[in-house]
Amino acid sequence: MDIKQLSQIYRWSVIVTFLVLVVAAGSVRGQDVANGQATANVLAALSVTATQALQFGNVYQGVAKSQDETDDALSGIFDIVGAASAGISIYLTLPQYMALADGSDRMTIAFGTTDATVDTMNVTPSTVVATDGWVDTDPNNLPGVLVVGQAGQTNLYLGGKVIPAVDQAAGGYTGDIICNVAYNGT
Amino acid sequence: MCERRILCSLVCGVIVLLFSVSTPAQTITINNNLLFGNIYPGIPKSVTKYTAGAASEFLVTGTAGNEISIDFTLPTYMNQGGFNMQMIFTENDCSFDTRATPSQSAPEYDNQDPWSTLYGRLGSAGLTIWLGGTIVPKLYQKSGAYSASIVLTVAYTGS
Repeated sequence: MDIKQLSQIYRWSVIVTFLVLVVAAGSVRGQDVANGQATANVLAALSVTATQALQFGNVYQGVAKSQDETDDALSGIFDIVGAASAGISIYLTLPQYMALADGSDRMTIAFGTTDATVDTMNVTPSTVVATDGWVDTDPNNLPGVLVVGQAGQTNLYLGGKVIPAVDQAAGGYTGDIICNVAYNGT
Repeated sequence: MCERRILCSLVCGVIVLLFSVSTPAQTITINNNLLFGNIYPGIPKSVTKYTAGAASEFLVTGTAGNEISIDFTLPTYMNQGGFNMQMIFTENDCSFDTRATPSQSAPEYDNQDPWSTLYGRLGSAGLTIWLGGTIVPKLYQKSGAYSASIVLTVAYTGS
């Protein structure tokens, strides 16, 4: 072999070595990337609807009148809809009086410690029993372990008592009953 | 003289080639995604990095003793059909362990900041990374299955 041939072989060997290194280097990753996931399942939002007003009907001056929460047609009813079996808190803001539309007179309204029933089985005010939820509870201090029923609904039934004065002005009286519900995370 | 140079060149090339091929690349395996499960609207929920089966877990393998950089690309919200839900990762939501038997409950390197580049040296069993987080659903968050991508990038630092 002369010098020229050796030089050519040398040149080719360098080129081949370089190419092999390039291919080899390409097969080794400089970094790795992984794409993980975060997942969550958001349950149904909670809603409450006042489906029936607490009605006392006709009231005589000076004669108190009570309305039991077990009356299908006259008790106050709130329907609470949300994720089945989820723990919830219910808070009632109850009025201390009812008033005429023009505000010219007021009539006392009171709620006793057994005037509310929480029904998780969605039966009726007149047929609900203790195993259906919480019966005859205090509307000013409802239990802290309430849940949405297994069908995704819980009903609240409310009774009360009006105490008209002997000189109570005649007319239609109303008062707002506000029901707040919220998930408690249980 | 020229023959010697040719031989040296070929031998060097083969040695470098063998060395390059014998160095394993780092590889990430996703052992567990970050799972929040059922969420109530209006109730934030956190998954800690210590919670096995719920916290995100990545296993990085490669050449033991080599240092790697760890970079997260973290989402700021989860999405479902165009609806977003806020996500929060705090500066101590990450941990990792390079020991032969990594411990999620008592990791070697705890309270790491997933927003910063982290550095760790691969152990004989690699390097295991855990990540926790928090989601903050709105009061009227639309129900459904939400998801987000958590991208992890690792690379040898050369040291």
